[in-house]
Amino acid sequence: MTYNDVLLQQVINGVSLGAMYSLLALGFTMVYGIIELINFAHFNVFMVGSFFSRWVLKLTGLVGQRVALTGFPLVGTLLLALVCVMLFCGLLGVAIERTVLRPLRNVPGTAAMITTIGVSYILFNVILLTQGADAKNFPNPMPVVVWKVSGADLRLREVLLWGISLLLMGGLHFFVRRTRLGKAMQATAQDQEAARMMGIEVDTVVMTTFFLGSALAGAAGLIFGLYYNFTSYVIGYTAGLRAFTAAVLGGIGSIPGAMVGGVLIGLIESLGGQLLATRWTDVIIFSILVIVLVLRPTGLFGRMIIRKS
Amino acid sequence: MTESAGAKARAGSAIGAQLRRIPAAQRRAAILTAVSVLLLAFPLIDRNGGDIDAAANACAFATLALGLNIVVGYAGLLDLGYAAFFAIGAYTYGALSSWQIQPQWSEFWEPFASLGLVARIHAEGVPDVVHMTVSFWLGMPICGVVAAIFGVLFGAPTLRLRGDYLAIVTLGFGEIVPIVARNWPYMTNGAIGLNGVAPPRLFGYSFGVESWPFYYLGLLMIAALIFISLRLQNSRVGRAWMAIREDEIAAAAMGINRVSLKLLAFAVGAAFGGMTGAFYVSKLQTATPDMFMFPVSVMILVMIVLGGMGSVYGVVLAAIILQLLQSWFLQDLTGWVHKLGHWVGSSWDVQLAQSISGWLQRVDLVQSIELIFGIILVTMMLFRRQGLIPATRPTPALTLEQQTAHASRGGFALPVRGIEPKKAEPQRAMIEIRKLTRRYGGIIAVKDLDIVVETNSIVALIGPNGSGKSTTFNLITGMDEPSSGKVFLLDQDITGLPAHLITQRGIARTFQNLRLFSNMTVRENILVAMHSRTTTGPLAAVLRTPRSRAEEREAEERAIEIIGAFGNRLLPRANQMVKELSYANRRRVEIARALASRPKVLLLDEPTAGMNPAETLELSDQIRSLRTMGLTVFLIEHKLNVVNDIADKIIVLDHGEKIAEGTAAQVHSNPQVLEAYLGRKAAHA
Repeated sequence: MTYNDVLLQQVINGVSLGAMYSLLALGFTMVYGIIELINFAHFNVFMVGSFFSRWVLKLTGLVGQRVALTGFPLVGTLLLALVCVMLFCGLLGVAIERTVLRPLRNVPGTAAMITTIGVSYILFNVILLTQGADAKNFPNPMPVVVWKVSGADLRLREVLLWGISLLLMGGLHFFVRRTRLGKAMQATAQDQEAARMMGIEVDTVVMTTFFLGSALAGAAGLIFGLYYNFTSYVIGYTAGLRAFTAAVLGGIGSIPGAMVGGVLIGLIESLGGQLLATRWTDVIIFSILVIVLVLRPTGLFGRMIIRKS
Repeated sequence: MTESAGAKARAGSAIGAQLRRIPAAQRRAAILTAVSVLLLAFPLIDRNGGDIDAAANACAFATLALGLNIVVGYAGLLDLGYAAFFAIGAYTYGALSSWQIQPQWSEFWEPFASLGLVARIHAEGVPDVVHMTVSFWLGMPICGVVAAIFGVLFGAPTLRLRGDYLAIVTLGFGEIVPIVARNWPYMTNGAIGLNGVAPPRLFGYSFGVESWPFYYLGLLMIAALIFISLRLQNSRVGRAWMAIREDEIAAAAMGINRVSLKLLAFAVGAAFGGMTGAFYVSKLQTATPDMFMFPVSVMILVMIVLGGMGSVYGVVLAAIILQLLQSWFLQDLTGWVHKLGHWVGSSWDVQLAQSISGWLQRVDLVQSIELIFGIILVTMMLFRRQGLIPATRPTPALTLEQQTAHASRGGFALPVRGIEPKKAEPQRAMIEIRKLTRRYGGIIAVKDLDIVVETNSIVALIGPNGSGKSTTFNLITGMDEPSSGKVFLLDQDITGLPAHLITQRGIARTFQNLRLFSNMTVRENILVAMHSRTTTGPLAAVLRTPRSRAEEREAEERAIEIIGAFGNRLLPRANQMVKELSYANRRRVEIARALASRPKVLLLDEPTAGMNPAETLELSDQIRSLRTMGLTVFLIEHKLNVVNDIADKIIVLDHGEKIAEGTAAQVHSNPQVLEAYLGRKAAHA
């Protein structure tokens, strides 16, 4: 492998990571766009999603990486896991919104944010206490198929993961742009008060946003497991912070921004790890967060938020 | 609020009623004394070394909570990485006083050695090395200063951002510091931990590994930090912090420099954390990166939330409760659950009972402490946001007599100090606006506006909704920046100055939709407005220097005077929370607050909105008497009868442009004005 091939390999890895961060960043950005709240619970909804999809895959009889499926069984199993985890995490997100966040929606100050930290911590510790602290093997039914691109390896699993991510993001884009509820979401993000006066049920919109964002986090949880072949109770924290950076980099509140930001962060992580050292990855990504916030708080695609006086 | 207070009163026993007859101040002093004696005697009563050690650790966490309380509780800045400052303090002390850093001996170290800060270590076969031996009593303040510097460094770029961004940046920062600690073995010895940190020595006696000297040192630190916190809370600095917490924009309009005060809060909080770091690491005599991870930051946040944000005694109490929970209660509870499991298992010999029994006997509740933290955060936010000991108490209801106030005519009877009558120079412009324009994207809110507000006059700005009146006010007061054009105050260019400097120059304003500090009392609201006319800094506030005491006394007197100017409308309510006031009274507080900043010119944005006709007349008289006192008044008003009555000059805006200017009579006969107000048809009818 030449040095260029190594870099190419890291680009492939980076895009795969980035696809996952994009899915996770979408949840942050959508919730922030609608109710201007940084949802720390999102970190661990993702982590719970990863554990739930592991459970679903185990129910189908998969253990470890020994069983490789092809054709319809492979697509069917993945689709089943994807639908189940998205539904579960979506409902978890809705439950969080309904029970603890809705009563605090109009409370000024940091109350709602502190609540999401509390919820995040509860999810984190419930998994730690019930599943244990050791990393868990994640069943993976994908056969090992490798294509050579120049000198780098492109594996089937990466192509599949890109496919799933693109499909979900395309679906989200269609939903937000074309459907009635999606348009209501856009309107609410612009001006909640005006949207309410136009007869939009803001509560429904907020609930939908939490459902979609959390469902995507669940999908990201499944992808994490399939990509790394393990899951653990600690994955939410690091991945969450990176995905949030992606959302800020793309411009918080902007859906295309989250997608692009996610891929950029994935590339920075893999190439930065290659060019510097993996142990400084978090420092690099954190520096990006601060630099973007200071120099260009609206990110790459962010809309200017005019403050209401 | 009143219901629960009533229920409590009913539930209060006869003893409670007796206790209530003791004055509140004495009661508080008695409780404090009793608690202090109990805490001081604790190591004598409980001779279990483990308990005393846990108590000493509780002291460390209480001081951390007091530090975070300055940042989160007082200034309202959510810091999720507070443990970083704890770590910085700990490693700074490690560098100053341990075997960690051992540079080679050279001439450079001679002067330090003679001061006793370092020692020369000689060993056979290798060059001499330096051993850092800075005394704890010197090292601890240094750690505080270093942490404060880091607080400023990390705060400076991010404090301009919205509060929620700050939370995520501090979270990241809290994650980075342990990573740096792990990856910088020269300073920190990485994951293995610091090597041989020196314990404090006092009069030749080393604290060593015993817990009780640390316990007493910890108590002393708590006492000192409580003292500092309380002194700051009731000072110019503390009030400014709380104003920023309540409403940043209004705080700026009161002349508060938000950035520097937020940085100050960050620095003070970080200093507390850094000093605690020195204390903790000298007690453990080592430090590893794991000690400063996210869970520590969360635990301290839980203390603040449980105790009550901004409540000094509350956060200390919460620190104690959490420590008790961790070291005693959960262990005991686990023991009981195990016993219960054993009993279930031996009582019923069925499969279900056996599995329940097995599960019960394996439960370890101490492990679930973090889960409990999460539950505390959520529960407190949902059901008791003010915490166990609220920082502010509800004020008793007013008597019927105090509540009733009648509209009085004739304006302010009393002269208000600080507003001196101006010598008549009526033709000079107090405020002059030249070619002022503000665009938002494609919309032009204000276009090429020229306005002159003459000294000691009342000028009214009228116009339909959305005609750019409030935008004009925002542009004058620095809340918004003009796209082009200039603003002058007494011939001085003030265009683009930050809001707090404009207030300092002498422009005060009220807001159309009320921006009061609603969780502060009327009196405190007024005192905040004097920020730019007073000078007490944090140090003077803590030491309560004669000058700061004199200044505080004068500010208090003036506040009461200004409140008194509104007669029995505000005076009986001086110590009530603003959020408990009626709408009209809140409008009065806004005006009183603007007056308190000793302005030359007062900008009133719809001062009579929401007032009944009698109250409106009362306020009109008062505005007129402000001019008699020597003030210049520039107001936006929709009630044309008020405008006609009091304004010397009326300026009419429509679609961001001036369409008419002149006396009431001139303006009312202007066809353009009629069109703007009544529509085209009516104007031509």
